[in-house]
Amino acid sequence: MRKLVVVTLLVGIAVLGVGVFGTGRKFEGVTITVFTQPPPFIAKPVQMFAPDWERMTGGKVKLITAPWAELYPKMYSSFALGAHLYDIVIFPAAWLPDFAGAGFLAPLDDFIAADPRIAWEDILPVYRERIVTWGGKVFAVPVDGDCHIFYYRKDALENPEYQAKFEEKYGYPLPVPPRTWKEVRDIAEFFNGWDWDGDGRPEYGVVEARRKDDQAYWTFFSRAAGYVSIPGQPGGLFFDPETMEPLINSPGHVKALEDYIEIMKFGVPGMINMDSGEIRTVFAAGEAAMAIDWGDIGVLSEVGEESMVKGKVGYAILPGSTTVWDYKKGEWAKFDEPNQAPYLAFGGWVAAIDVKSPYLEAAYDFISFLASPENSYRSVTTPETGFNPYRVSHFERLSGWIGFGFGPKAAETYLKAIQDTIAHPNVQPDLRIPGGARYFEALDAELALAAAGAKSAQEALDAVAKAWERITEELGRENQLKAYRLSLGLPVE
Amino acid sequence: MAQWQGRLFLTPTILILLLLTIFPFLFTLAMAFGKVSFEGGALKITLIGIKNWGRLVYDARFWNALVVTLKIVSLSVFCEYLLGLLLAMLLNRRIKGRTFFRVTFLLPMMLAPIAVGYMWRMMLNDTRGPFNDFLRRLGFGTVGWLSDPNVAMYSIVLTDIWQWTPFMILILLAGLQGIPRDYIEAAKVDGASGWKVFIYVIFPLLAPASIAAIFLRSVEAFKIIDIIYIMTGGGPGLVTESLTLYGYSVGLRAFDLAYGATISFSLFFVVLFSSVLFFFLTRKARRISLE
Repeated sequence: MRKLVVVTLLVGIAVLGVGVFGTGRKFEGVTITVFTQPPPFIAKPVQMFAPDWERMTGGKVKLITAPWAELYPKMYSSFALGAHLYDIVIFPAAWLPDFAGAGFLAPLDDFIAADPRIAWEDILPVYRERIVTWGGKVFAVPVDGDCHIFYYRKDALENPEYQAKFEEKYGYPLPVPPRTWKEVRDIAEFFNGWDWDGDGRPEYGVVEARRKDDQAYWTFFSRAAGYVSIPGQPGGLFFDPETMEPLINSPGHVKALEDYIEIMKFGVPGMINMDSGEIRTVFAAGEAAMAIDWGDIGVLSEVGEESMVKGKVGYAILPGSTTVWDYKKGEWAKFDEPNQAPYLAFGGWVAAIDVKSPYLEAAYDFISFLASPENSYRSVTTPETGFNPYRVSHFERLSGWIGFGFGPKAAETYLKAIQDTIAHPNVQPDLRIPGGARYFEALDAELALAAAGAKSAQEALDAVAKAWERITEELGRENQLKAYRLSLGLPVE
Repeated sequence: MAQWQGRLFLTPTILILLLLTIFPFLFTLAMAFGKVSFEGGALKITLIGIKNWGRLVYDARFWNALVVTLKIVSLSVFCEYLLGLLLAMLLNRRIKGRTFFRVTFLLPMMLAPIAVGYMWRMMLNDTRGPFNDFLRRLGFGTVGWLSDPNVAMYSIVLTDIWQWTPFMILILLAGLQGIPRDYIEAAKVDGASGWKVFIYVIFPLLAPASIAAIFLRSVEAFKIIDIIYIMTGGGPGLVTESLTLYGYSVGLRAFDLAYGATISFSLFFVVLFSSVLFFFLTRKARRISLE
């Protein structure tokens, strides 16, 4: 009987203890709302890690999604109209100035400083110091590393017979990988329209996204950066950082657009109507010798079940040019070695918190869990997450990539191309100022006209410069200039 | 029940209707004459007169989109009407398997335009599409169905015709079935040929159905966006960019809400003007059919 009383007492104390002190789980009863695009891409990691976080903390994660085109309006109106529908928003880094500049996002510096799990120093400097900061404060955590890299077919470019024929025709050895856009043009012409891989069908020189209302302008800037970005001279790619005058119609940009148009002659038929998704499948189907894309072509080529090019793909940083437009001097500068300026197109996805969220701490905790070295490594080495590497540790451990389906050599060269791009001293971040989407939309229409032959490169870019001036005037030149300088890390008054 | 009591019961419905139709209409109109900003947690519209409309007048891309829209509407609705009439006449006859054909012909209309866009985009693909594969096998060159600026708009029109001819068939078939057989028999007894029966009896009596079908289809066609968005994104160049797609790009991609609203309203005026013109031009046909 005494034993029964003791046991009953102990059980009672235990039950009371749980009742009084809780389960020890930090966010019991808290539901955080995460808003991003529909799964699988980008939302999939949230679905992967939410159950573990919920088990550990007692909190709940509610995922809300909207199609790509509705993300920006829905996020902006949720912030601006005071609805505060989402605690965490996962969005493209280029929108950060719009949101952080307007005071919609919570600064995360204190959270990060007190959080060993996030391993902040493990994140590559360009992401942690430039992509997620605004006005000297951190407003987001990177969850994806995006940059354009260059792809080529090793079985074509490294074939000795083709190399000899190329040299005979062009008077110089076939460079592997090409380091200038001029070399890319010649190689594309050489490999265009004949069966160089012996599959009984003709292949083509190149495949690049050109489709209107899609991602063509990122391909354009990838081609333009080497022509206009002089090392140590910030701002050549978009605006003059002293006056906010558009540089988009500079001779360097015009030359890049002329290349962009000319290379279509050596491209896969119908390239003018291809978006990024389509160029990936076309390259993985073995139809082109070269391509420009984010890390996705690499994944699809090496891991995709229907890939015809597994183990045949070479990876490199974007080519450049030996003549570069110096906008300050107003003349072409000559370089002995090609000036390569890899471009952080899009800049990757970042996770941020609504400053008015009642659950700042829980929201940050989930982001920290999602972006921790271990979980982010799983994200970048899992199919269909849409996340690419952005931490030092992502590049150091090959096991996950090999488990992902990459061959050891392919994994090594693929990661090296991305790492070389991100760590390049002349790497160019994307446009990060308020109204960025308006500038790009104006450019997109003119690029489409130039690609279709309706306008010359000069006419198209002159029209873009005019439209950019109007947008800058409408948004306020002083504010835009200040934002642009901030985005480049230049001092502002 | 007194009349005022009846009206009282109707008031909530009327108010809800007003709220759902008039308010968004006026809100968009205000944006079209204003500048939109977000201040202090609220969307603020500052009226700026006709500045947005002035920009529209000098916007070459707007005029291009207007011409593209008018071309797509006129070409597709014209072809849909002709094809629809032909097929409706065939289906109105006592032919074998009539029910099967009636159901089959209506299927495209039941598909989502997005799905139709993807389907035709794949079929018209330059290198891997069955259309070009067929042409290659016959020894012809391939066609840049969606990538050639001279062809892309016709591919969009072709897709629209494929999807929406069934709508014409449906309405015209109903119209044909409503024509009394006596009129046709009487004309035949009087010695009228099949062609004359069609021209002098069937076609005039079909006018109300024809006018309704053309009007409804045209109003819908003016708003075309989904098929174009999927198939070409408005390209190559701007040869397939419709007004709705342009408004969408400006308003929701560039987030220039005020100018996007201006473009949307311009489409409203274009549709309104076209409708009035259409009813003016068809007033005689309507009168004859009533007589």
